[in-house]
Amino acid sequence: MIIEGGIVYDPRNGILGEEMEISIEDGRVVEESRDGDKIDARGMLVMPGGLDAHAHIAGAKVNTGRIMRPEDGRRGTEARTKLLRPQTGYTVPNCYAIGYRYARLGYTTAFEAATPILEARHTHEELEEIPIVDKGALTLFGNNWEVLECVRDGDLGKLAAFVAWGLRASRGYGVKVVNPGGGEAWGFGGNVKGIDDPVPNFDVTPRQIIRGLMRANEALGLPHSVHLHTNNLGKPGNYETTLETLRAVEDIAASRDRQVLHVTHMQFSAYGGTGWRDFESKAPEIADYFNRHQQFTMDMGQLIFGSATTMTADAPLEYGNARLLKAKWSNHDIELEESSGVVPLVYGRKMPINAIQWAIGLELALLTEDPWQMIMTTDHPNGGPFVNYPEVVALLMSRPKREEELKTLHELASKRSSLPSIEREMGWNDIAIVTRAGPAKILGLEEKGHLGMGADGDVSIYDIDPEKIDPSKDHEKVKAALSRAKYTIKGGEVVVRNGELVAVPQGKTYWVEASVPEDEAAKVRADLVDKFAKYYSIQISNYMVQDAYVTSPRIVRAGVI
Amino acid sequence: MREIRIEPRRKFLVPVEAEGISPDVLAPLTLEEIGRIEVWEGNRRSVLSDLFALSGDDVPGEAADARILLSGDFSRVKRIGEKMTSGMIEAGGDVGMHAGNGMAGGEIEIAGRAGDWLGREMRGGKINVSGDAGDYVGAGYRGESCGMRGGEIRIEGSAGDYLGEHLCGGKITVLGDAGDFPGIANRGGVIVIGGNAHLPGAEMASGAITVFGRARVLPSYQYQETVEIDGQSLKKFLGDLVDGGKGELYVASMEA
Repeated sequence: MIIEGGIVYDPRNGILGEEMEISIEDGRVVEESRDGDKIDARGMLVMPGGLDAHAHIAGAKVNTGRIMRPEDGRRGTEARTKLLRPQTGYTVPNCYAIGYRYARLGYTTAFEAATPILEARHTHEELEEIPIVDKGALTLFGNNWEVLECVRDGDLGKLAAFVAWGLRASRGYGVKVVNPGGGEAWGFGGNVKGIDDPVPNFDVTPRQIIRGLMRANEALGLPHSVHLHTNNLGKPGNYETTLETLRAVEDIAASRDRQVLHVTHMQFSAYGGTGWRDFESKAPEIADYFNRHQQFTMDMGQLIFGSATTMTADAPLEYGNARLLKAKWSNHDIELEESSGVVPLVYGRKMPINAIQWAIGLELALLTEDPWQMIMTTDHPNGGPFVNYPEVVALLMSRPKREEELKTLHELASKRSSLPSIEREMGWNDIAIVTRAGPAKILGLEEKGHLGMGADGDVSIYDIDPEKIDPSKDHEKVKAALSRAKYTIKGGEVVVRNGELVAVPQGKTYWVEASVPEDEAAKVRADLVDKFAKYYSIQISNYMVQDAYVTSPRIVRAGVI
Repeated sequence: MREIRIEPRRKFLVPVEAEGISPDVLAPLTLEEIGRIEVWEGNRRSVLSDLFALSGDDVPGEAADARILLSGDFSRVKRIGEKMTSGMIEAGGDVGMHAGNGMAGGEIEIAGRAGDWLGREMRGGKINVSGDAGDYVGAGYRGESCGMRGGEIRIEGSAGDYLGEHLCGGKITVLGDAGDFPGIANRGGVIVIGGNAHLPGAEMASGAITVFGRARVLPSYQYQETVEIDGQSLKKFLGDLVDGGKGELYVASMEA
């Protein structure tokens, strides 16, 4: 296949809006294609396929959201067609709808952001049913008893061996840490209040857990860094905890050419104020820190007005949400590993807190100077559903659009944030970084997010001419074009044409196989035999995700030997 | 005023989904075009004229000037008047579930009985039922946090269980009895029951429920005073205290 005449943005290879041909053969980008298929992309924007590095799209808590929200299922129903299966839902779509809707946006890869090992089989059952896109899942480690004990004992070798084992047991891709220590404390109705607050019964602090897991992550040389959901997330004044956390790990070095820590959905961790009354944005302080510390990255967690379903392993946070909003609440204890919660809510334009939160996400993205440190996300469906990505892109590219929106919001959005004074408008190169090249580099996916030789043949083509359209003025056109890709090409196959799905192939699932010294692995096995005998509700032989649950794996090797 | 008459051609054994029977949909169409509107009979796709005989004025007009007359048995026909904003529907007999679903304006007059979910998530307009109504009148459908937000429903007979569940506004009047849990999770609506009711106002946050007959009152309601309404003396309660509610409950006669 040859894509002809398009205006290509491929930041990783230094291509900034050049008219060029792209050839794809056997699912990969090549010098020259032998078959005669041609796609006429003249006057159109061509980018690598989009990559969502943080979304909640599969697994137990997503399904809990669906069960709790039949009313959400009724929104966004589409009948089956000869090609497509039935679709339901807006914030918690069914598996098919997730794949179809990503493809229509020009996205070809999406990562599930939080999977407890115990529930990983469920995650993979759903990932298998999400069509088209390539997938992966990050595994939760931040409240696991084995992790807490290794950290307490200062046994880094055993911790690394457990992380490797946990990734294999869950067929996971990376180390996710959510409110470290807080999830365990929640088992006793408590929480941790900061990074030096000890975890009940374990004599460790969140600071030690984060440092231990980061050092284990780097010892194993995993493709992705630790992916952190900070302590005190969602609380006024939490920017201090966030900065304290980052300062606590400044001395740790990355073992690969990537960040050493990814702080996720930063919008929820950049709050000032002593309570909800004097709640304000501290995004400039956070962005300023990132501008001076290139070893860290973040994603936006942009808020979208309307319906959302919050779901997180941060169970005490969800308890607070449910109480504050008198909303439906699901609370879950995951044995020795985590806790979790789900709460549906509505973000209102005239709600002062929500309006300020909306501004914070945009401030973070615009004030962080290096786009390679930033990923565009909505923390789907916590900040809002991923189908709103074109809206976020339009906001990043157009100051007039931001001003129009601000006029419809509660006035505190302008008074308690710096957004009105921000002039920056992202260009197409920035957008290609924050939605494609950046997340691929941050996740450590060599063959994704670019269109160089050997890259995956994942391409999105939008019916918009970057040389003729001024996104600042024509933000409506930008949003419309990005909402329905002209073409989405996945692994060299056209899956979307003129905004409609034309093929539904099955994507692959990434997971990381990390090798560790046998003596360390043996120590972990001995510990686990004891834990399963004493505490788990299931046998260790029924715990591991079997190969049958990952039918199209893409295994990435790492490890210390 | 334009009259459109609709009559079933036969007795339906499985439910018919006919959300097209609404002044907003039918008024701008000729009778022939109306006949081509899609309806589902169970899992079979069909058109309106296959299942119903259509007659009346043939000249398209405004919804506000349309009067749809339903004669015959519509007890298995669902979603009549769904999302209507103006005009009039008159049913000579019974109607099926979900009549007046999400309606925002206009009027529905039902001479017979109404099925479950009458006027669910209604925004405005009026519904009058001469006979009884089923369960979940004016309620929110599964998972919704708000049922009826505005408008008025009047039932001359009795209503089933969960009358006005999750009400967020509007008024429901039942001249007869109501079943279990009327006004459950009420958030600002008004319910008046002429007859008896069982455990009204569970989880009520705000709004008012008045029972002129006998009712069993939940222990989480706090007695306030005796008040006079329409010449009758009623006991006033506040609750539901388990949810810190400030709803008002008036009951004429207490069931032990």
